[in-house]
Amino acid sequence: MTSSAITRPGERERLSSKLKQIDWTFTVLLCIIAALGTAMLYSVAPLAWHPWAAKHLMRFCLCLALMLALTLLNLRIWLTLAYPIYGAGFFLLLAVMAVGHTSLGAKRWLQFGPIQIQPSEIMKIGLVLALARFYHGVSAKDARWSWKLLFPAGMIALPMLLIAKQPDLGTALLIGFTGAAMMFLAGLDWRALAAGVVGVVVAVPVFVKFIMKGYQRDRVLTFLSPEDDPSGSGYHILQSKIALGSGGLLGKGYGLGTQSQLNFLPEKHTDFIFATFAEQFGFVGCTVLLLLYGAIIFMALRTAMRSHSHFGRLAAGGVTATFAFYILVNASMVMGMAPVVGVPMPLLSYGGTEVLTVMIGFALVQAVRVHRYAEVTSGKGMLV
Amino acid sequence: MSHEPHIYFDEVNERQGMFHRRTVLLGGFAGLGLAALGFRLSQLQLVETGRYQTLSKSNQFNFRLVPPPRGRILDREGVEIASNRPEFRILLQRDVVEDVDAAIDNVAALIPISDAKRRQITRDIAQTPRSSPVAIATDLTWDEFSRINVRMPELPGITAEMGEARFYPFPGAFSHVIGYVSRVSAKDIEATGEDPPPLLLHPGFRIGKQGVEKSLDLQLRGKPGGHKVEVDSVGRVIREDPAGDIQATPGDTIKLTLDADIQNRAMDVMGMESGAAVMIDCRNGDILCLASNPSFDANAFVKGVPGDVYADMVKYERKPLFNKALTANYAPGSTYKTMVTLAALEHGYDPKTVHVCNRSWSMGNHTWHCDQVHGACDMRSAIKKSCDVYFFATAMAIGPDRIAEVARRFGLGETFDIGIPGQKPGIVPDTEWKRTHVPHDPKWHPGDTPSIGIGQGFVSVNALQLATMCARIANGGTALQPRLIHSVGDEVRPSGADAPRLGISPEHIDFLRSAMNGVVNEPGGTAFGSGACKLDLGPVVMAGKSGTAQAHTYAVGSHGIHGSHGQWVQRDHAWFIAYAPSDAPRYAVAVLVEHGGFGAETSAPKAREIMKIALLKDPEVRARIEQPLDRPPQPQQPAANQIAPEVDPNPVPSPTPDANVETTT
Repeated sequence: MTSSAITRPGERERLSSKLKQIDWTFTVLLCIIAALGTAMLYSVAPLAWHPWAAKHLMRFCLCLALMLALTLLNLRIWLTLAYPIYGAGFFLLLAVMAVGHTSLGAKRWLQFGPIQIQPSEIMKIGLVLALARFYHGVSAKDARWSWKLLFPAGMIALPMLLIAKQPDLGTALLIGFTGAAMMFLAGLDWRALAAGVVGVVVAVPVFVKFIMKGYQRDRVLTFLSPEDDPSGSGYHILQSKIALGSGGLLGKGYGLGTQSQLNFLPEKHTDFIFATFAEQFGFVGCTVLLLLYGAIIFMALRTAMRSHSHFGRLAAGGVTATFAFYILVNASMVMGMAPVVGVPMPLLSYGGTEVLTVMIGFALVQAVRVHRYAEVTSGKGMLV
Repeated sequence: MSHEPHIYFDEVNERQGMFHRRTVLLGGFAGLGLAALGFRLSQLQLVETGRYQTLSKSNQFNFRLVPPPRGRILDREGVEIASNRPEFRILLQRDVVEDVDAAIDNVAALIPISDAKRRQITRDIAQTPRSSPVAIATDLTWDEFSRINVRMPELPGITAEMGEARFYPFPGAFSHVIGYVSRVSAKDIEATGEDPPPLLLHPGFRIGKQGVEKSLDLQLRGKPGGHKVEVDSVGRVIREDPAGDIQATPGDTIKLTLDADIQNRAMDVMGMESGAAVMIDCRNGDILCLASNPSFDANAFVKGVPGDVYADMVKYERKPLFNKALTANYAPGSTYKTMVTLAALEHGYDPKTVHVCNRSWSMGNHTWHCDQVHGACDMRSAIKKSCDVYFFATAMAIGPDRIAEVARRFGLGETFDIGIPGQKPGIVPDTEWKRTHVPHDPKWHPGDTPSIGIGQGFVSVNALQLATMCARIANGGTALQPRLIHSVGDEVRPSGADAPRLGISPEHIDFLRSAMNGVVNEPGGTAFGSGACKLDLGPVVMAGKSGTAQAHTYAVGSHGIHGSHGQWVQRDHAWFIAYAPSDAPRYAVAVLVEHGGFGAETSAPKAREIMKIALLKDPEVRARIEQPLDRPPQPQQPAANQIAPEVDPNPVPSPTPDANVETTT
């Protein structure tokens, strides 16, 4: 029995045992979603590999290989790298503030020769790792409510502020949510949670009114009443709803999505690709897609629960929460239930950085599964 | 483990348990979220899908307006006198193009666009709503059109289109009757009220401005169709969908009673003269000819006439823009004597009564003049010689009211329902008319009457009225109504044939017709001597009456200007009315030559030529003309003679040489 093999310290370090432990069903599900994304990008090109479909497929394949490689990395190494990665991400965020590449009025990238680096993406993984490592060494009592929680709170708040300042509200929210989800998983007291929720509810209107930039506020206000301005900011949401609604039960058929192919649907290949999918495949197709995503979330959470190390549990849980948040926010936005924030649909949307981040995240989840019996040191020191 | 455990097992279990519970909760939240998305999806895609499908279709499909082909206008034999020809034009989609000037520059680089045209485009753009395209070049050659078409992908918002433009095959002959079409003006659009039909805003559409084109504009327009196209988000046409097209309904074909041959002949014989010619079929009232000269090229108005050219037309003293057949109202001159005659006979006046003409006639202390000494005349010879003295006396004997009453019965002073606007009724004066219309001198003086007797003074008529009058005399006194519009589409307008009698005794009509025959065919008749009315059509002859109307109040005794001398604007207007064949009338004609001098000299030959065409086109009249003459019996081979006269071994004179000559011209 394979599970018994990996319980034995000698055997579980063998490559063959590790390969057997990779969740292949899970991997196939990821491949299916990426393939659907490729098919969508091909259909809106229209019906051409160029400019999106081929690149998307190629990137996914590279990221898939990377994921499988990283999966074999022992959890101890992940743990060791947790703070350094977080620290590097934080440093790069500061660097972006100083010398970042400005695009569309926002500083998000660092340019190293031909390579663009988006530090906020590194931070997404870095934060999950750092929080997991922090809670790995904290007792249940302290995780519930103690002064020590100031550390995770700071670890979340600082990068969040830096990213919001770029400004990239979507990612900042995502970072905030990831942190909150991990504190929740680690066992934060209910009262503290409730207080946090109340605080957010109170803060949001104030934030919208006084701190948001013009275009951000427009997006929120547009979300609240899209029909007020059908050709301006409300156009995106309205056209997206038309694409979804006109798909009906079975959709218009592959390659026959008029909203997306005739360019009525904005960002049809990135943020609004779910609408593109919905137009062509209808309610049935969308349900299948959501079930696929649901299955991935379920399997990832199951992996988290089976881990014998607290670091593994929280790392897998954190990645999964982020992933689920992506899906819920993107789909809500496309359906007109949330403001337009730049959150892509994981693996479906075109965009190299997102695919890379998601796949590294799932590499971590898979690593937790493969090394679920591995002993992870308590980690008193900074690095070990 | 070498060192003390940092966290004890119970704590480890507590942490694990907490994590498990919280993970289940988190999974539950995610599941709830997904379920909410599914619910929202079902709402959008299952419940409201109909609404969104409609919105999607209206995004996707557009109907481009297809203007209907304008109805054709035909003459009585089906000859096209207004039709459509293909036209290539370049349109600018205002809702797509941001920089209009740049777009026009791009087109101007390929085909010439004049500065004047540019100014017009700018005006057009200012006047039309953004949604409707504006024509920036029309009437292109195929070469120019293809030059634009090839570069179409580089010219966003520019479309090349093949449409139809109005075409008048006889440029001038029918302009006054059928009018013309022209660009839709701001006034035309205002006239339609709040919501102008989109057809009016289409750059290829032209609206009727005069004559039949104007009065039957709605019937000629037809119904616009739709060309179904698939567009993308910026309005570019991606695909066409011919199956979804809505066919345009062409406008109704309008058939007129006019005859293109007769009308063209009338225009020919008018030459440079200014005037009008109207011919009516005596049997049914059909107007065969309604010509006004000089004329203008209606085709030029379709394209748009430059302002200076138009101003010249307005200023020209022979008034090419007026339809003189309907609007030029002049004294009928001696043609009115026909009415005086009938009025007198109807009131018991004895036609044997003799008056002696010494070239002048006095009443009280005023003297009226005749143009020559006619000696003793009875009524018939007075008509024939057109003796004014006789009719001064006759008019005095019966009075203005009786004359006016008869004249009105014959259609003078009346406007007829011929389907085009612009008739001027003129004046048939009587005591009542003077009372109501001449406020400074409402009383009818006896001295007003003699002039009436010779169709001068207050009397004024137009050519259509005189032609109608002549036709009513010719057909024996029935109130036939002139008809110009034969049919609109399938709907035939009622013919003027079954009209009631005018209540004039047939004997009196016969007397008048005999006298009118004398005018043309008897020595001493005003139109006999010159041969002006000699048809040369064998047994078929014409009857008529000349008329010369004072155009200018010339000084007493200055007879030098009378007739065709002096300055053009001072010369008399020349009338001639005629019908033929004299014994069984079919066609009646009235010819007006403004400032033409004597009617019998100027107008009569024109009436003759117009009449000749009508007679020769009539198969029954033609059969009569081609009857062999009453000669000693000879071997009759009229058919062989006609087909190959030159190979006849035993040539005999053709029975109707003139007729043959005429038909081959």
